[in-house]
This record gives sequence, C-alpha cells and structure tokens, in this order.
Amino acid sequence: MGSLARADLETLLHTKKLDRTLTRADGGRPELEYASTGHVGLDARLSGGVPRGQVSELVGPRSSGRTAVMLQMIAAATQRGELVALIDALDMFDVESAAACGVVLDRLLWIRGLVMMNPGMCRDLNQRAVVQAVRALTLVLDARNFGLVVFDVGEAPSDAVRRLPFTTWLRLQRMVEGTSTVCLLVGSDRLSRSPRGLSLQASTLRAAG
Amino acid sequence: MYACVYSAGSPGPVLAAIAQQFSPRYETRGDLVVVDVRGLDRLFGDARAVGDELRREAADRGVRVHVAIASTQTAAVVLAIARPGVVVVERGKEAEAIAAVSLQILGGPALVRGPGLSGPADGDGDPERVAPQLEMFRRWGLKTLGDLAALPADELSSRMGQQGLTWHAIARGVEARPLVPDVEDERFEASLELEWPIEGLEPLSFVLTRLLEPLSLRLEQRDRGVAVLHVQLRLVNKETYARRLELPTPMRDVKTLRTLALLDLEAHPPAEHTIGIDRVGIVIDPTPGRVWQHTLFARPHPTPEQLSTLLARLGAAMGQDRIGAPVLVDTYRPGAFGTAPFATVHDDHRGMGRTGRMVEHTEPPRPPHPAPTAPALRRCRQPVPAVVALSDSGAPIKVITHRRGFAGGAVLRAVGPWKTSGDWWTDGWDRDEWDVALSDGASYRVFLDRASGGWFIDAILD
Repeated sequence: MGSLARADLETLLHTKKLDRTLTRADGGRPELEYASTGHVGLDARLSGGVPRGQVSELVGPRSSGRTAVMLQMIAAATQRGELVALIDALDMFDVESAAACGVVLDRLLWIRGLVMMNPGMCRDLNQRAVVQAVRALTLVLDARNFGLVVFDVGEAPSDAVRRLPFTTWLRLQRMVEGTSTVCLLVGSDRLSRSPRGLSLQASTLRAAG
Repeated sequence: MYACVYSAGSPGPVLAAIAQQFSPRYETRGDLVVVDVRGLDRLFGDARAVGDELRREAADRGVRVHVAIASTQTAAVVLAIARPGVVVVERGKEAEAIAAVSLQILGGPALVRGPGLSGPADGDGDPERVAPQLEMFRRWGLKTLGDLAALPADELSSRMGQQGLTWHAIARGVEARPLVPDVEDERFEASLELEWPIEGLEPLSFVLTRLLEPLSLRLEQRDRGVAVLHVQLRLVNKETYARRLELPTPMRDVKTLRTLALLDLEAHPPAEHTIGIDRVGIVIDPTPGRVWQHTLFARPHPTPEQLSTLLARLGAAMGQDRIGAPVLVDTYRPGAFGTAPFATVHDDHRGMGRTGRMVEHTEPPRPPHPAPTAPALRRCRQPVPAVVALSDSGAPIKVITHRRGFAGGAVLRAVGPWKTSGDWWTDGWDRDEWDVALSDGASYRVFLDRASGGWFIDAILD
C-alpha cells in the first residue's frame, strides 16, 4: 500500500516536472559530471572543474581577475563544441578580450542587458533591468542543452541585485538540476549557488562547498 | 529510370493526366510526356509491367500511345517516337537500342521544340531550320543515329557547332539535361472564418494551432519544412494585416511555429490592435525537409526549433538588437564590436578529437594563451569622465571620478601612453591610452581625448 502511494506520488511529481526533487534512500547522491574551466591548475584544485547541473558562482572585487576566469571558462566550453549563453546584464562584454582568450564567437549567444552602473535617480529602472536579465536567464535555461550559461552582474549596483526575491535563485537551481548545463553567476558579492555547486572567490581562487 | 509516353497529336493535358496517375515528377513536351518512374517497380513489378500499366491507363482514357522506358530521357523519347508498343531498354544499352533509328527523327518537332531534351538549340523551335543540316548528314552518307554516334564529337563540333554536339549526344542516348517537372511545389495554405471576432493573442493561439496542425501533417507527408510563414489577419474593418516570418531553418513543429507566430505578432501588433479579427489565414512557403543526424560522441545542442523559439522570446523580452553572436570588426576603434544573428544549426563535430572520440574534460583543450594571466576588459560603453592628475613626465599619478561606484585613488603603476586615432573623416577618435593600477585595488584603462582634452575611463581591467 505504501509503495503504491509512493508510486502515485512519484507519478504526480513526474507530471508536474518536479521529479528531479526526488531522493532515494537506498543510494547515495549521483556522481557529478564536471566541466573543465580551461585552466589546468584550477581544474586540479576543483577536482576536475565546475559541476554540471548545478548553479555555481564566481565572485570577487573589481580587477580581481574574475572576468579573465569567466572568459577562460567560456573559451573552454566553446572549444569543446558546446553552446554558451552569456547574459551580460550591464553590457560590458569586450569582444576583443574574448577572442584573444580563445572564445569561439559564433558559439556564444550574447544577450546584452540594460542595467546601468550609475542609474542616478532612476533606481527602479535598474531594478526592472535586473529582473529582465533574470528573465533572459530563465529563458536560456529553459531551452536546455547549453553547455555553459553565464549570468554576469559583476559591476551591477549591489542593491539592485539584493532586491531580487530569494526564490529567484531557488528557481534557477531547480531549473538547472538534472541537466548537463553549468550555470555560473558572476558578481562582486556572494549571490547564490546550488548545494553541490561551487563558490569561487576570484581574489584567492579558493573553492568552497 | 524514365518512361516516355508518346501519342501523335494528343494534347499535353491528356498526357499529363495519365502521368499524374504514376508520379508527381513528369514533364510534358508537346505530344509526349516524360515520367520519372523510379521506385514504381515496387508497386507494379519490373519496367515492362510499368510500361504496360501506362499503356493501359492511356487506353482507359481513349488514347493510343507508344511507351518507352530507359535510364535516360533521351533514349526513352527517341524510342517512344520511333517504336510502337512498349519498349524497355536495359541500363547501358541505350546507344545500341536507338542506333537503328533513322536520322529523320532529329527533324521531328518533339526533338526540336522546347523545352526539349537537346538543350539551348531547342529554343530555335523550328524544324525547317534544321532541315539543311539533316540534308548535310544525308550527303555525308549518314542514315541512322548509330552512324551519327560513330562520328568523332570534336570534328562534328568544329563543323556544326553546338547543334552538332547536341545531336551527337542524342544519337548516343546520353542525358542532355535533368527532368524539369511540370508541377510546381504544392501550396500549403489554410484559413478560417471566425463566427465571432477575436481580440488578443491568447484566443488567436488556438486558431493558429487548428490551422497549423493539418498543414504540418501535409508538410511531413511531402517531406517539406516551413521556410517562410505568412500570417494574414483580416480585421473587422475589412483591412488585412499580414506578417511574414522567415525561419532560420526548415521546421514543421506546430508548437514552435505557433509560438514564433505569436511572438512576432506580439512584437509587431496591428496598428488597430483593439479591433477584432474575423479571419485568420496561414500561407507557408515550403522547402525540402531537414535531414538531422545526431552524433553519439558530442553533447547534444538545443534543437533548431528550441533555439528559434528561444531567440524569438529573447528578442521580444530584450530587443532584437541586443541578442546575437559577437563579431570582431575590422577596425582599430577601441571597443568596437558587431553582432550577427545567432545560428540555430551548429556543427556537432567541433568537439571531437582526430580519432572521432569526444574530447573529455579530463583532457582540457589547450587555449591559445596560458590565461588567465592575460587581462580581460570590461568595457564602459559610455566612457566615464575622470579627473586625472599628471606627473612632470605626463604620466597619470591620480585618478578621481565623481561617479558612484568608481572610488579612484593614487596611481600605483601606469603603463602607456598608447596613441591611437582613426576615422578622422567621420566621427573619429584621437586618444592617448593608459593602463593604470590604483590604490583602491582597481585597474582601469583611461584615455585622454585629444580633441576635447578630457580624461575618461574606458574599461575596467579584470
């Protein structure tokens, strides 16, 4: 009877596309698959790279090298033949730097946001732009099968990002779980990550989690 | 394999009606029709059985015909004109089969008038024009096509030009040009008159689905995909609002097509969008279907349908000009870039090694630079005005901005200047660029605009 009820519940969750939240008591957590960052030393310290199907974050202050690491990861993914999406919330992506880093440009979907570094009195405008960028991120994750999806709010005013509801990040984690996509959030402060994702601090490149 | 059905004096439409019973690929040429009968052997049996069926079909319609079946149109046409009944020629024996046919057949209208099998000369379209040349053949002692085929082609060409070569090809029974089917691509269109006008996109979604489902089925049966989707909305004020949606790749998935059409209408609504719609029409420009082979060794990509839908959704959300693939442009202008439409079809094999095995993450590809030592830039699309103090040598020693988020500070290290200028004939630039590391920990690329004398932060080195 109990197993029947469990089967019913699993079927219901499957119908609602929530079956990825199921856990099994008999086995441990499934092995994660890792995507190389493109840097041998970093991969060695991260046990192979950044986990797929998880939200990871890359944070650090300005000029700490986070953009260089981000470009390196994009380059590695595009060189592996994967498609990469970059949600560039502040429209600061430098194409020359990317090309010099080895990014295969025609495999990169560049989505230029409208967030301003200095919004002046138009704070609400910035908030709407951040929400719009998050919406673009969810659309890309919903399309699936991108190898790497980068959400770059590295220079965004921290108040604009902090005002996002906490459930935003939970929703993103649920969308990425079970896929082969690496979702990378790039910011100046800690944003969020999946329980099995990574937090990379650009100043020390120390992994936590 | 081609079948030629010939009946002297029969009108083309009658012969076309016979051909339509056997294949959609046929071409009428005056009083004969050439039919592509490849694959019909599985339906009727061998080639002779196909020929008998063609003859029987013609007899049912009251037409007496000659039928010839050969692997080239040329041999089939010649034999159908020259021989009564059903003639079947084995592959490779076309020249032998027509060798005994009289040369006079070359003067017949079926082989002279276009669009015939003998190429450009058919355009002349006048049997009397070729009569002197046939008389020349007679004086040379040639009587049959076999005699003509035995002549050297280059000598014939030097004496008779292109026409001589064309006749030589006919005499050898070789193909002069491919079959050009008469029937144009089938039209794929559907429309629906609405009993009550609808307003808004949500009810339109159901109507579009209802129209697209049978069209998609027909496209699948014909192995066609949608190249261009036309959506025609007739408003209650009797005006018609039409949208033309070019798809990046052939597709026929109803859900994708409906979503793309709705997103396009959402981005480009009718001017009188409050007015109801009382008729919805769909017209599809078809194109051959897409053959899609996935590989076992590369990671799957989003399908073209998924990518097309994603790009349309992103375009509606962010603006079409703000999505795409970055492109380097051929200029020295700092920060210049271009964007190209993001391709929906990508080569799956780029991720493979030479052996065809997927490159595993344990074997990371070697980047062209041992990065991340190379600095990466974050561009300020609008350069940030700055106040820069200079040393006696002209190097920056302090950088301050009044913008929130840029603290500024003393310059710990400065590299430069790099002088760059260009486009002086339009909105050019003339700069002295410096890379500076400040005491607050940030590094910037700053420049002196020589035209205005002002300093600006152009990019963040990160």
